Amino acid sequence: MTPHRILHRCAIVAVVGLGLAACEDPAPPIPGYEPSFRVLTESQYRNTIADVFGAQIVVGGSFDPLVRTNGLLAVGATSAHVTPSGLEQFDRRARSIAAQVIDDTNRRILIPCTPASETAADDACATQFFSQVGRLLYRRAVTPDEVTIPVAVAHAAAKDLGSFYEGIAAGLHGMLVSPAFLFAIDVTEPDPAAAGKPRLDGFTKASRLSFFLWNSSPDEPLLAAAEKGELHDPKGLTRQVERMLASPKLEAGMRAFFNDMLAFDDFAKIEKDTIIYPAFSAAVAESAREQTLRTIIDVAIAGEGDYRDLFTTRKTVMNGPLGRIYQVPVERPDGGWMPYEFPETGPRAGIVSHVSFAALYSHPGRSSPTLRGRAIRESLLCQKVPDPPGDVDFSLFNDPNSPNKTARERLTAHSTVATCAGCHKLTDPIGLALEKIDGAGQMRTTENGAPIDTAGDLDGVPYADAAGLGRAMRDNPAAPSCLVNRMYSYASGQAPTKAERDYLAFLEKSFASDGYRIPRLLRKIALSDALFAVSDQPVRSAGVASSKDDKS
Amino acid sequence: MSILLPKPTTRRGALRGLLGGTAVAVSLPFLDSFLTDNGKALAATGAPLPLRFGTWYWGLGHTPGHAIVPKRQTSEGIEFLQECKPLERVREHLNFYGGFNMPLDGRSNYTHFTGWVASRTGTAPSGNNDIPAPTLDLLISDVIGNNTRFRTLDMTAAGIPRENYSARSTNSRAAAEASPMSLYARVFGSEFVDPNKADFKPDARVMVRKSVLSAVGEQSKSLMTKISAADRVRLDEYFTSIRSLENQLDLQLQKPQPNLACSIPKSPAPDGDEQNMPQGLEVETVISNHRIMTQLAAMAVACNQTNVFNMVFSDNFSHMRMPGETYTHHLLTHEETVDKTLGYQPKAFWFNCRTMEAFATFVETFANIREGDGNLLDNTLIFAATETNYARVHSIDGVPIFTAGRAGGRVKTGLHVVGNGDPITRVGLTAMQAMGLSLDKWGTKSLQTSKTITEILA
Amino acid sequence: MLRFLTRHATWMGVAGLLAAAAMPSSARANSLGFVITIWNTAIYESKFIDECPAGFNVGYDEIWWRGLSKEDRAKYTDNGLKSRLDRYFNAIRRGPNGEDVCMYPTSVQDPPLLTVEGQQSYGVNLDGNVDGSPTEKTCKHENFVGLDGTPGVDNQIYRLLGCVYGFRSYGQFEVNANENRKSNGNGMTLIEVTGVDDPRNDPEVTVSFYRAIDQYTLDGSGAFLPFGSYRIDAPGGKPRYASSVKGRIDNGVLTTEPGDVNLPFYGNYTYMNQLIQDMRLKMELSEDGKSARGMVAGYYGVDQLMFYIGGLGPISSTAISNCPSIYVAAHELADGHPDPQTGKCTSLSSAFNFTAVAAYIIHPKTTADAAATGRN
Repeated sequence: MTPHRILHRCAIVAVVGLGLAACEDPAPPIPGYEPSFRVLTESQYRNTIADVFGAQIVVGGSFDPLVRTNGLLAVGATSAHVTPSGLEQFDRRARSIAAQVIDDTNRRILIPCTPASETAADDACATQFFSQVGRLLYRRAVTPDEVTIPVAVAHAAAKDLGSFYEGIAAGLHGMLVSPAFLFAIDVTEPDPAAAGKPRLDGFTKASRLSFFLWNSSPDEPLLAAAEKGELHDPKGLTRQVERMLASPKLEAGMRAFFNDMLAFDDFAKIEKDTIIYPAFSAAVAESAREQTLRTIIDVAIAGEGDYRDLFTTRKTVMNGPLGRIYQVPVERPDGGWMPYEFPETGPRAGIVSHVSFAALYSHPGRSSPTLRGRAIRESLLCQKVPDPPGDVDFSLFNDPNSPNKTARERLTAHSTVATCAGCHKLTDPIGLALEKIDGAGQMRTTENGAPIDTAGDLDGVPYADAAGLGRAMRDNPAAPSCLVNRMYSYASGQAPTKAERDYLAFLEKSFASDGYRIPRLLRKIALSDALFAVSDQPVRSAGVASSKDDKS
Repeated sequence: MSILLPKPTTRRGALRGLLGGTAVAVSLPFLDSFLTDNGKALAATGAPLPLRFGTWYWGLGHTPGHAIVPKRQTSEGIEFLQECKPLERVREHLNFYGGFNMPLDGRSNYTHFTGWVASRTGTAPSGNNDIPAPTLDLLISDVIGNNTRFRTLDMTAAGIPRENYSARSTNSRAAAEASPMSLYARVFGSEFVDPNKADFKPDARVMVRKSVLSAVGEQSKSLMTKISAADRVRLDEYFTSIRSLENQLDLQLQKPQPNLACSIPKSPAPDGDEQNMPQGLEVETVISNHRIMTQLAAMAVACNQTNVFNMVFSDNFSHMRMPGETYTHHLLTHEETVDKTLGYQPKAFWFNCRTMEAFATFVETFANIREGDGNLLDNTLIFAATETNYARVHSIDGVPIFTAGRAGGRVKTGLHVVGNGDPITRVGLTAMQAMGLSLDKWGTKSLQTSKTITEILA
Repeated sequence: MLRFLTRHATWMGVAGLLAAAAMPSSARANSLGFVITIWNTAIYESKFIDECPAGFNVGYDEIWWRGLSKEDRAKYTDNGLKSRLDRYFNAIRRGPNGEDVCMYPTSVQDPPLLTVEGQQSYGVNLDGNVDGSPTEKTCKHENFVGLDGTPGVDNQIYRLLGCVYGFRSYGQFEVNANENRKSNGNGMTLIEVTGVDDPRNDPEVTVSFYRAIDQYTLDGSGAFLPFGSYRIDAPGGKPRYASSVKGRIDNGVLTTEPGDVNLPFYGNYTYMNQLIQDMRLKMELSEDGKSARGMVAGYYGVDQLMFYIGGLGPISSTAISNCPSIYVAAHELADGHPDPQTGKCTSLSSAFNFTAVAAYIIHPKTTADAAATGRN
């Protein structure tokens, strides 16, 4: 980075008035990654289809599972393959979307021209459609071939099937299974500012920004800015980033990030025993996930609050299904969300005390301090908890018929086995703090008739209950540092390597001086050179896959 | 490891043909990859019967001492104890493999994970997400799976699509079908062509679909530049998948080979009412979904829709549960007390028995479909394995494996094969060889083996 | 009180298993809230139906049938092919001029109603005496002995309806009405106890009754769930139902002083107001705070009762009931509220058993807010 560019960046920042009174230290440079490509995640695919064709288009079928990497599925997408069965699903989905686009209702809105005849090919109209759609689906200017091929396919199909619109569907089918749509591919060009070095081209930068902030494809203004080269210029980049941060799509983008960071995709397989937890239902599960995401957005994104307050905030939202679980009145039980504040003296405070965490990290018929503790360590503090050793006979100390009534008593028995003690010390004090919240997220005071003790400590900070655990987490330096790591990793699509350690430390420092405000962190990353850093040298990936396997 | 991969089909002019206004039906050599010396003939046409391969997965192993009576040397006659009693009724179709070990060369035993990865890939994983090599079903499908509508059909009765024990690598793992309805729609839905239907007319829409994919395939060249070697592999796999889909469409453009064994099943949802079909991990639901999916899988095979299939009955952390019971199957194996009189954990044992009952159903369903002068199972080899021997302590030596079926007459059945501590990869190697793979050794490090289990070969 | 034990077996189980968790509460401080889940006319049924020695009453259809010639039977029943339900509109219009006998119960003279002859009944001693002699407020009537041996129990509604098949536990009227409320959320009663300092013992509380506008919260198997929130039906911010009486709680048992109380009702296609005069309530709160069950006793107007019975319509075809017989007997058995002019009593002593689950009762915040929440 040249001094000239730094100066320029500072000037812009000051003009826009982002709360930075003075110029801060320059960010440490990072080497960048080799150009790569990411497979669109399920939510990116869905959002893109909704953005391009409208939310009325139904997207069905299953997607190949991604491997959670550095705690994020979005990073797994950078190494994901498309299996034959996954492609078969993409193909089926593409045909279904194409058929919906040309149906009687949608064709009027989505196809910009009327064919000369509905029963014959019309290359001019097809060209118009594929040029417009191709740009949005491929997230860049389309090459002449990329229009003429679908037009030719549409032409032949229209002839064979006797329908202009069937022809359009065939051409669109091809675009929707094309690698140019399914993969966000890094394209480089020579960097005019550094001879012999590559840089990402404007469209690639646009996609990276868009998937980072919106979890969707770039819109036309962003593509236009990319096409004009504005994203290579700090001023033009700032203009776009500010527009994106102000867009309502930011909320969807951040929901996707937190859904990923908190492994809330696991809600798809949550199951509770209806005899043990009759009040828990699919509506409760979906509401629980939604409640936590809404709380995060309200407090940390829309409210621009301190990220760490998410661990202590008593502010949340409530709806009918959740009212029954939390045992609180709901003003509109027939639907809708209302603001709610947990009682000042109660044990519920912070997102970790929400039904979402409690229910997701439990078994179908019982709570699990170990699963909860592990999830919090791994998802929120970015700490790795080793797997249990293979050869432990749990039944020696975990007999359901034993006099050990509470989870604490059962888990204390683990500490008699040296191989268990190490890891359980990491997970259990956290999980035990939440034991007054049962496997469905409901409050309780006893287990098997014995009173529950929730006291413990987090890395030396003592607490008495879940609210205290939240305060300890808020003040734990690992919490904001974890957020910074995940956010940067999510943006770059890579698990940070050693070479990025200084840069992450710089980001953490500035996150702290920005009052731990996420929108400022987003801006910082989006405007950074790091987000677009690219290398022509292979980088050894230090991606560590984390485990969400079910063990207790 | 050396495997003869079939030559990829070229997209020879299908698009150009179509653009020229005349559809060119691409003729493929009929079922060439499974023409073998031992192949049996279809009664109807005299054409050879295809070879089929399937896997059946169950989680959490056995209760040693209560499942199969151990033997000192390989011989005929498997002695089933209480936990495996349901298998009595399919004993003539089975082989049991006991006493095979899983040496890890110092790598950790990632509980409930290492076991299935090592036995299916021949390599011990180096992390609890690592799938270091392709699973054997995919290697087999590369050889026998190219000329059917689906290269493989992956299903799970355990409700979790990503728990599919078939993968090419860590990052190349398909989702398994978890819903009987979507499995039915995928195989027997509108795109299904009845092989026994008298008249056949190539569907113009299928031709259009093929031309679409052909055009997509043409884009490969422009994308192959400027990306890393690892990414090139990923792109290659994508284009291979495109070609594989084109091949499927080619097959749909030819008159299918009739098979009298094929009878099209009815939709599993009564009156198509998918909403009311049970879902979840309650054990009776799993069993019911497994039964429905088994019937669909067997018919998919009999109707020549696929030659390779993977069924997961319960996942590696078996989350199956009884209603009202706070402990799942997995938790029970660890936390239930061993009943001193019975000598086992009674509830965990109950789940294991239900599992073996389901396996018997699976085998029986294939055996009950007549094909040629025998049955569907005679032309199939099913590899049924789990990830642990005794789940209570996560032991991986002596992980039980069954095979079912005679692989078109290449495999003998009714045997109890004794491993004497040999690597467990011997079973997989032998299965792949029986499926026609030219493979002289398989596996890595201490799991590598070149020792075929000749005792089971006919 | 025992009647619901088998149908609601979990009630006992839950109370025993779970130590005092959160107490039920309405949205207001120091209050308890409940929504009534099951509401039944308290019909005591002995094992061998000793209370109805002559058996159950015949229904309107049998009476109509008896009065028809063989030819007419063939004519009106399509040669015997029409079911009782199909021929309802013929059968019910058996008045001399084709009157609907439920609308005009005096247009015919039917056989007298078979009434309860047993000694025992649910209910309480409403009039204070034990021999059934008339007072200023009551007419002469026979008394029952309570199931716990209490003498002087007044329950003429039981005497009236106890041998009508449709009102018994295996008949259809009560079951239908409960199912109706469960499935469509109409006529649901909320009970709010306010001024509660100690939910197990409090000598002075206020008990109020409202109508809810939100449907029941049910689990996947259709069982009632506690801790749902229910808005009060309050068009324009003014609760449509808002009766209130004084009460006390002793060892978790809530009892109220007598008072006139309006309760909402819906069942068998009838919406109505149930005015229960001189009403008193006894309700036992479960220890875990999730549920309650109890009994309401008081005087129920004859006209109010006949409005409901007269409107039961075709359901009576399988519930086996006959309006004119009930009409005559209801007036004969009436034991409360003598008409100042005629001296004839106009209401029936009555008792109703109910179960309830804990609920949050949502009061209208402002008039504007509530305008949108009224239910018709």
